Amino acid sequence: MAKAQPNEQVLQGTLDLLILKTLSLAPMHGWGLTQRIEQLSKDALQVGQGSIYPALVRLEHKGWIDVEWRTTENNRQAKYYSLTTAGRRALGQEVASWNRFVGAVTLVLSAEA
Amino acid sequence: MFAFLRRTREQLTRSRVAADQDIEFRFHLEMETEKNLRLGMSPDEATRAAVLAFGSKERFRDETHDARGFAFFDNLIRDTRHAARRLRRSPGFSLGAIITLGIGLGASAGIGAIVYGVLVRDLPYQDPDRLVRVTLHTPGLPGTSDLHSDVTYAHFATGTRSFVGLSAYWTLDAMTLTIGDAAERVSTGFVTPGTFALLGVLPIVGHRFAPGDTAWVESSPVLISEGLWERRLSRDPNIVGKTLQLNRGARKIVGVLPRSFDFPAPGIQVWYPTRIGFERPSLAERYLGVIGRLRPGVTTADAQLELNTLLPGLSTQYPNISADVMRRAAPRVSVQSLKAAVIAPVRAQLMLLGGMVLVVLVVATCNVVNLFLLRAERASKEVAIATSLGATRFAIAQRFGVEGVLLGLASLLIAAPLAALLLLTKLGFSVREIPRLHELAFSWEMAAMIAAAAVVIGAGVGLTALVRTGDYSREQLVRIASRATSSPGWRRAQQALVATQVAMALALVITAGLLGRSFSNLRKAELGFAPQGLTMFEVALPFGRRYGGYADMVAFHTQVIDALRAQPGVTGVGAVTRVPLAAVGGPDLRYKLQAVDLPGAVTVFERASLATSEYFDVMGIPITRGRSFASGDMRGSPGIVLSEALALKLFNSSDVVGRRVHYMNDRGRKLLFQVIGVAGDVPNTRIEDGPNPVVYFPQLRDGDGLPPDSLPIPVGAREVQYVVRSAVPPSAETIRRLVRAADASVPAIGLRTVSSLVDAATARVRLTLLLLGVSGAAALLLGIVGVYSVASYAAAQREREFGVRLALGAAPRGVARLVLREGAVIAAFGITAGLGIAWAGGRLLTALLYRVSPASVAEFAGGVAVISLVMVLAALVPARRASRTDPAVVLRGE
Repeated sequence: MAKAQPNEQVLQGTLDLLILKTLSLAPMHGWGLTQRIEQLSKDALQVGQGSIYPALVRLEHKGWIDVEWRTTENNRQAKYYSLTTAGRRALGQEVASWNRFVGAVTLVLSAEA
Repeated sequence: MFAFLRRTREQLTRSRVAADQDIEFRFHLEMETEKNLRLGMSPDEATRAAVLAFGSKERFRDETHDARGFAFFDNLIRDTRHAARRLRRSPGFSLGAIITLGIGLGASAGIGAIVYGVLVRDLPYQDPDRLVRVTLHTPGLPGTSDLHSDVTYAHFATGTRSFVGLSAYWTLDAMTLTIGDAAERVSTGFVTPGTFALLGVLPIVGHRFAPGDTAWVESSPVLISEGLWERRLSRDPNIVGKTLQLNRGARKIVGVLPRSFDFPAPGIQVWYPTRIGFERPSLAERYLGVIGRLRPGVTTADAQLELNTLLPGLSTQYPNISADVMRRAAPRVSVQSLKAAVIAPVRAQLMLLGGMVLVVLVVATCNVVNLFLLRAERASKEVAIATSLGATRFAIAQRFGVEGVLLGLASLLIAAPLAALLLLTKLGFSVREIPRLHELAFSWEMAAMIAAAAVVIGAGVGLTALVRTGDYSREQLVRIASRATSSPGWRRAQQALVATQVAMALALVITAGLLGRSFSNLRKAELGFAPQGLTMFEVALPFGRRYGGYADMVAFHTQVIDALRAQPGVTGVGAVTRVPLAAVGGPDLRYKLQAVDLPGAVTVFERASLATSEYFDVMGIPITRGRSFASGDMRGSPGIVLSEALALKLFNSSDVVGRRVHYMNDRGRKLLFQVIGVAGDVPNTRIEDGPNPVVYFPQLRDGDGLPPDSLPIPVGAREVQYVVRSAVPPSAETIRRLVRAADASVPAIGLRTVSSLVDAATARVRLTLLLLGVSGAAALLLGIVGVYSVASYAAAQREREFGVRLALGAAPRGVARLVLREGAVIAAFGITAGLGIAWAGGRLLTALLYRVSPASVAEFAGGVAVISLVMVLAALVPARRASRTDPAVVLRGE
């Protein structure tokens, strides 16, 4: 197989983090989000297309993202999601805690006998 | 909170949310399909791949649905629907619970609102906490009250530093307002000009009195009530500056006070300004009420202390008040919050009423809890199965809670109208009997509070059922599921509930008994007159040319009396200033009297009345000594009749015919009168208050032929009440016709039987009695149901045991005794507690009792007997049923 095996199982907390980060680059609709995440991870991460929407609803309820109906470039109605100020703050915290987590795991894994 | 609001909003716009989601879903698939097409798939393939990548549409829906928190609402709606269905399936239980709860809740909300509104709520004045009433007590002086005299008020008002201001007031019932040709009697209040500013009340039209205003000048200013403004002056917006004919003088209206304003007394329609000075330095002439506003930071105790230190100044500064009088009088000032002073007369009664409805609410709630426990018992199998299948305790709690809340809400259908009705009718009381009553109205806040109470009580009652379902182990659950038995714990709880009901029922029955006897004593009380066959009405003659003096007025009355006496069936007609118990409200004007030729005679202030010579005979008031009035009594020193109580007060004896009495008028002039007779005592406004001292002045035909300007009688004949004794009461039409014949402009008003006055005078006690009786009966009934259900339930539980006992040769009688004992133990506990409650409650009742001790043995014993009998009867039915248990049937069931 030429392509790397896509990691179907994206941890839920991780999915939220990915959505927040991606939205921090530009407001986007749901389908666009899935494409962008795959593209950014060089196809290593594949987001379950059906599972992105519940995550968006949760984030909206937390007040981290805003929703707006807009017209796409090919003139279609779509729901665009964008980061709120609270969301931007949350993203910073999530990234920091993710880095701590990764650092800790790396420390353990790189331990020598 | 924010998140909850958002959820609720989404919940309310659910269909739109769903539609939006569909659009988003379709958009997603289209985009994916287009991507697939770009990758070179066939259209069919592209669509299939898109759908496959997305996953199940249903899962997408469900997951977003859950994420939005719709599940909570869905479960709630489903539970509500199920609960409603369950309740519909047992209409007996549901109706019983709804009616019981509805009555309990409605009664306590309605009466609670009245009690709260009168006893607790702030007075409708500015900064009411700093308003106080100042009273003066002189235990050493006979025949005086806690009111002030001119000089004591003026002395305190100028000397004190504790108050922002002190105001004095008195009321006068009988002023004649003449508008056009029509006269009517109005209640008036005399207040020092600063009173309205002190209370912080503004007129709705015009302005308050100016500091120097006084009633004792030509066309002095008056304020009128909104009621009078509306009723007689058609809410004339330009009323300020117009004049009003009051008694003899024209008064200038300066403003209209709002309907809610009721100081110094409810029903006042005209306020006069009055100036109080040091002109009459006496400690005995006391007629002024005094209120004050405390300076910030000054307490009532501080103020009381300060005023008491000012007292000695009375004798040092005013020569007319001797140190000797001060010593004898032993004066003492007391300062009390105005609210406490206003509610003092009804506090006990309202507390009783409030306590009573609380009892009813407790009994009602107990009963519904009991119903729920029984129901939970029946549902325990179902609950056990649900639990073993994994239902959480929370889910079960929700099930019972929702049932309770539904019942609570349904009970509002009864509670809300009942509460509104109670508030609307105010229990039949008027503001004369209960102060501040007119300030009350049914409000939305109150409706919301009833609804909240219904939900809370409902949920609470429902959740008590959880006690019954308890924590069970798996094994216990299996056992319960196969055969419902009851745990001793919950049975004890149920027994305690029933004992509580019995206690409450007993307390109410005893209290009702006490009030019942009090009422009967009141009805049998020596009235001093014979009300049967008597009709009364009153007239007020207008001021003006026609009725200038005593002779003109008496001529009018004589004409009416003669016309009435000529009517068929009429056996006697009398006229008097005021018929006993026919009070129109407000204190009476008091007259200053002193016995002549009696060493050390005291001055008394008492009520005076005019009376025709036939009055005593017509009313059935005995003349115990001497005679009634006769022609010639107005010449020389005119004759008067004293009531027995007044004779005793003036002379310490009732053998006073021929003795002489001084009447002292406002200007200090003494008029001499001679006692020609003594009349039996009659009450004034309340039977409970006993004999009321009164002096009768003669109302003789044509004024005994004396010239109008030399009339010696200090009481006017302008407002007179007539009493007519007849086999058949004369019709209102007849009376109106006869009065019109004497003068077309004079209306006859207030036609009623004298018996109705007696009824009204006992109404207060009667109504309380009725309420107590009804709630006592309700509590008793609920108690019976409770004892019956517990006893029969216990009997049913022990059916197997009874079967075995009977099979082993026990006598059926013995089995019945077992069941009876169960009921008897509960009743005994309840009765003991009930006696305690009744004994404690009796103290609250003292103010309402008339010649009955609050710890009367007869009522207590009677109450216990009634309750015991009823409880035994309630347990008897299940006992008999138990004794007839068929051992064969029961044992086969094992």
